Amino acid sequence: MYYAIVFLPLAGALIAGFFGRLIGARASEVITSAFLVLAAVLSWLAFFQVGLGGQDARIEIFRWVTSGELQVSWALRIDTLTAVMLVVVNSISSLVHIYSIGYMSHDPHRPRFFAYLSLFTFAMLMLVTSDNFLQMFFGWEGVGLMSYLLIGFWYQKPEANAAAIKAFVVNRVGDFGFALGIFAIFYIFGAIQFDTVFAAAPDQVGKTFKFLNWEVDVLTAICLLLFMGAMGKSAQFLLHTWLPDAMEGPTPVSALIHAATMVTAGVFMVARLSPLFEFSPTALGVVTFVGATTAFFAATVGLVQNDIKRVVAYSTCSQLGYMFVAIGVGAYAAGIFHLFTHAFFKALLFLGSGSVIHALHDEQDMRHMGGLRKVLPYTWIAMLVGTLALTGFPFLAGYYSKDAIIEAAFVAQSGVSSYAFVLTVFAALLTSFYSWRLMFMTFHGKNRSEPEVFKKAHESPLIILIPLALLVVGSICAGFLFKDMFIDKGYEAFWRTSLFTLPSNNIIHDLHDVPDMVKFSPAIMMATGFLVALLFYKITPAAPANLADAFRPIYLFLLNKWYFDELYDAIFTKPAMRIGRFLWKKGDGATIDGLGPDGVATRVLDVTRGMIRLQSGYVYHYAFAMLIGVALLATYFMFAPGASQ
Amino acid sequence: MIVADAFFYLFATVCVGAGLMVISARNPVHAVLFLILAFVNSAGLFILLGAEFLALILIVVYVGAVAVLFLFVVMMLDVDFAELRAGFIAYLPVGALIGIVLLIELILVLGAWVITPEVAAHVTTPTPPPAEVSNTQALGQVLYTKYVYFFEAAGIVLLIAMIGAIVLTLHHKEGVKRQNIADQVARRPEDAIEVRHVEPGQGL
Amino acid sequence: MKEAATTSPFLTYILALPEILLVVGAMILLMVGAFRGERSANAISWAAVVLLLLAAVFVLLLPAKGKVLFDGAFIVDSFGRFMKVLTLIGSAAAIVMSFDYMRRARLEKFEYPILILLATAGMMMMISANDLIALYLGLEVQSLALYVIAAFRTDSVRSSEAGLKYFVLGALSSGMLLYGCSLIYGFTGTTGFPGIAAAATLGQTNLGLIFGLVFFLAGLAFKVSAVPFHMWTPDVYEGAPTPVTAFFAAAPKVAAMAMFLRAVLSAFPEITPQWQQIVVFISIASMILGAFAAIGQTDIKRLMAYSSIGHMGFALVGLAAGNAAGAQAVIIYLTIYLVMNLGVFACILSMRRSDGMVEDIDELAGLSRNNPMMAFLLAMLLFSLAGIPPLAGFFAKFYVFLAAINAGLYTLAVIGVLSSVVGAYYYLRIVKIMYFDEPAEEFEAMPGKLQAILGVSGALVTLYFFYPAPLVSAASAAAKSLF
Repeated sequence: MYYAIVFLPLAGALIAGFFGRLIGARASEVITSAFLVLAAVLSWLAFFQVGLGGQDARIEIFRWVTSGELQVSWALRIDTLTAVMLVVVNSISSLVHIYSIGYMSHDPHRPRFFAYLSLFTFAMLMLVTSDNFLQMFFGWEGVGLMSYLLIGFWYQKPEANAAAIKAFVVNRVGDFGFALGIFAIFYIFGAIQFDTVFAAAPDQVGKTFKFLNWEVDVLTAICLLLFMGAMGKSAQFLLHTWLPDAMEGPTPVSALIHAATMVTAGVFMVARLSPLFEFSPTALGVVTFVGATTAFFAATVGLVQNDIKRVVAYSTCSQLGYMFVAIGVGAYAAGIFHLFTHAFFKALLFLGSGSVIHALHDEQDMRHMGGLRKVLPYTWIAMLVGTLALTGFPFLAGYYSKDAIIEAAFVAQSGVSSYAFVLTVFAALLTSFYSWRLMFMTFHGKNRSEPEVFKKAHESPLIILIPLALLVVGSICAGFLFKDMFIDKGYEAFWRTSLFTLPSNNIIHDLHDVPDMVKFSPAIMMATGFLVALLFYKITPAAPANLADAFRPIYLFLLNKWYFDELYDAIFTKPAMRIGRFLWKKGDGATIDGLGPDGVATRVLDVTRGMIRLQSGYVYHYAFAMLIGVALLATYFMFAPGASQ
Repeated sequence: MIVADAFFYLFATVCVGAGLMVISARNPVHAVLFLILAFVNSAGLFILLGAEFLALILIVVYVGAVAVLFLFVVMMLDVDFAELRAGFIAYLPVGALIGIVLLIELILVLGAWVITPEVAAHVTTPTPPPAEVSNTQALGQVLYTKYVYFFEAAGIVLLIAMIGAIVLTLHHKEGVKRQNIADQVARRPEDAIEVRHVEPGQGL
Repeated sequence: MKEAATTSPFLTYILALPEILLVVGAMILLMVGAFRGERSANAISWAAVVLLLLAAVFVLLLPAKGKVLFDGAFIVDSFGRFMKVLTLIGSAAAIVMSFDYMRRARLEKFEYPILILLATAGMMMMISANDLIALYLGLEVQSLALYVIAAFRTDSVRSSEAGLKYFVLGALSSGMLLYGCSLIYGFTGTTGFPGIAAAATLGQTNLGLIFGLVFFLAGLAFKVSAVPFHMWTPDVYEGAPTPVTAFFAAAPKVAAMAMFLRAVLSAFPEITPQWQQIVVFISIASMILGAFAAIGQTDIKRLMAYSSIGHMGFALVGLAAGNAAGAQAVIIYLTIYLVMNLGVFACILSMRRSDGMVEDIDELAGLSRNNPMMAFLLAMLLFSLAGIPPLAGFFAKFYVFLAAINAGLYTLAVIGVLSSVVGAYYYLRIVKIMYFDEPAEEFEAMPGKLQAILGVSGALVTLYFFYPAPLVSAASAAAKSLF
């Protein structure tokens, strides 16, 4: 069964990829989607088997690398954490596949698109089922590659190519840390099997090594390096810049990769490695700090964006920050729970936005929308549910998971967690505001789009609406159905050994006993955000513009995403280009080529010319050369020491 | 011995001096004459060594035949030595430097030449011993026996030189009248002479 | 020579039978030619080929156990046997390759094969020389014949110039050689190689002897056209008629190198460090000049001249090792060099259009389309000359460098490898011109004789690596007889 779950997407990808032209676009779509649906059904089966039945499994496929001490196998590690991820990945992926059939119906390269989607799913499955760091890295890079290919799917668009390259390059920074972390693990533990490393981790507590005369805690160093990878993949603060740009890709891709699955790989990775992180409070502190900062930062930027997908993208970024906050304070289960619920409602929001965009013929700017509620009633419902779930409306998915995170941040009671608590609560307000802003600007008020576009706008076909409907169900139910298992009474029975916590870590239990003030704070924030948005965009539509004029610097600061792109451009890109140009022109061209190939070739020609000039054609020159030769040799032997012994 | 030494230095000095003049004389005829002088002095050196046969052969063959042939050639051809020496002057300083360096080295080396007893004992003795036979007779004894190989090889060298001279210079041009002795000898008066009776005062 | 046999047992002279056969045969053919005139040129050429091959058969039939005759001046051993066969094959091939050229150039003179016969006899005398006088005489027999055939095309100014230059410089080198010989004789009291070797062991090595060695080796280096005594080579190769160039590049080089080998190895084994330094110097200079100067050439004959200078430098690397392995490497090198060169010149001789021979490298452009077989074989030969595995030329270089490294001459080996890299450029350039440039006008069809030689040469070079054992073991036996 697990083989089928993991390899069905691969089979679909291979069929669609290599035989797509042969079998046609329709067949490619059907085959890949059917395989994915099958895999999704099996994933749910596995989820119940593992999560409720407690049947962990480890399936070795074959030995991969045997090199000295390094022994690596391809193996599927199936435990609760994996099962949760399998469900998320395969469910969302299958829905996205189906959705794409409708959404991409006018694209000539559909077989390629579906092959990419399926291959991405396979890579993601490799990542979540990995049994060792190398396999995880394979999946990690696999999803990175597929993300690159899918962002740049419309390769005719320069922006798409630029975004794809940006995503790849920014991820390289994180992956560099990740790779270093893996090297360090092999160096310290002599193995890269999860089990071996986890078993040996407690022995390494407090050990240090010297780096540049600086005592570094072994586990902290490893964890921080690994977390660097997570930051890149999950678009955390400082390495987040690629995610909004990645929206250049087709919307189903954004839903699958840049909302539900790939970007959560960082969260998954830290959760999977909880037996390491748990021993390094410093690293966890950093995780919390980065997560909280991201949650707040992304939310502020989301306030003023006008591109519908970018708003959702910043929202994703912000929500990922929440997940890291949960993990950072030790509430791994809360983080994963939020990952789980978030996957549904964020995919719903993306696919809903996609439906809007589809209806308006690729219009993405919210300033050119409005009043679509009547035209797109089903989409409006879907978006409404998604927004409610995201903002944490009671009894919807986000309500349980997000509140749990905020409570956990409160319970943790350290300097960093207080910081996290304040920021997450405030971010909840911002989340509510920008979500409702999106709703109001898109679906309410007067139409601001071109009249003929608006006239032609129509509700999406069934093939798009069905996935939306399923996601609506998920967004509503995922919270209260699974709350007990994930973070409440069923916690131990459900997670068992897949998430490791120190005996002293009781945060999951403690978070249910928080002051009422804390318990209600998210709800209050949500309500406040809604009211402000209502005020700004429904009642006094002039207010936002006035406000923006009044606080122009702040507005521009937010609109320009805290000037991160400009900052990186100035600090990294431009100097890198300058260094690159310098190394190319001066370093490679003038120095290496000049002294190397070109220079040698030129010198050879010079020498040749000199030698040819010697060949003058005059006999007395030739005779002279012979005499000089003899004289040189004779003189040499006159003076050479030891020549005449 | 002092007389012999004195003559050695006389012949040697004149020989080298004549050699220098051969290459530096302006008039080619003078150069050939200096060449003859050098040959004669070399012959004198041979006589001092007791090689009277070689000395006389040198006079007879080189002076008597080769040098005279040179003289004819030089006189018949208009060789412009000044032109030939144009490059010579330009390269004289460098050439002289190399030559002088080499010369000094050779003097240093050969001046310190001592024949060690071991090598002296090793030296091949001439065959047959010069005390018993004159060197003409000695040459006669070894030329076709011990040195037959060298002699024949030298003969082949000369043969090749002859073939080469003919190949490179003999052109059978069409339309050139040549003397054919057989034809001349076989010719009879009636082939060559036709008697015509010419009437006086009429012409042909 | 026969009439002089009375004082020696006649039967020992049979050891010199191949030489006697060539000389006497040459004289008989000369008579035939003189009386029958130019009409007989073709027949005499074939007769000369037959004589050369017959001589080769005799060389192989004769015992080869280090016998000497003519009072020690002439030695017959397995080294000599190997080299003589090589030389004879080279000469025979040169005559075979000349037929068409000579006919087209109206040069059908019966003296040409006769001069080659005599030159070959001189080469065999050089190879067998065991005495300074014998060496010099052999050298002169060979050289004089070569001077003449270099200038053979009397209607061409360049040919005459080539002959004259060769002659003048050859005379200078002979003078140096003789000067060296007389110094050596003066310091050792003998002209025989064994005697010189024995005298050199006595007492201190004399600087005078070393001076003699310097002049002597300068004379020898001229004959193998090693730098700085190489200056005649490009001009003579370019000016001489092409079949003559083909001959020059093959047999005389082999013979001169064989003479070089025997002279230093059997006459001066006791002062190996001294001559080794000289050989290393001229070897390095030759390799470098051969590699660099060839790059600037546009005339293929001139290019082959520099190529042969470079190859002689490589062969001298093996000699510099100064041991049996080195000598073996040189012998193998010369064998492969001969085969490669004959093949390349077969191609050069086929560069003919209706309006005459062409010699410019660019004329080979697009040969791969006009004559794919010839282009392929020529490319193989050029790759082999460049020393690219698995062709024979690679092994030739491999053996000499291996010998040098085993003898501790690392610098020499490194310089050799580097210059062979530089040298590869101009060989590959020809291949590039043949395969990638726009085709030039087509050549006339290749004559059958040249086809045969090119085919055999290409096959040997390409397939050598399948079965190198015969050559290696024969060369090993030949090298051992020198020590």
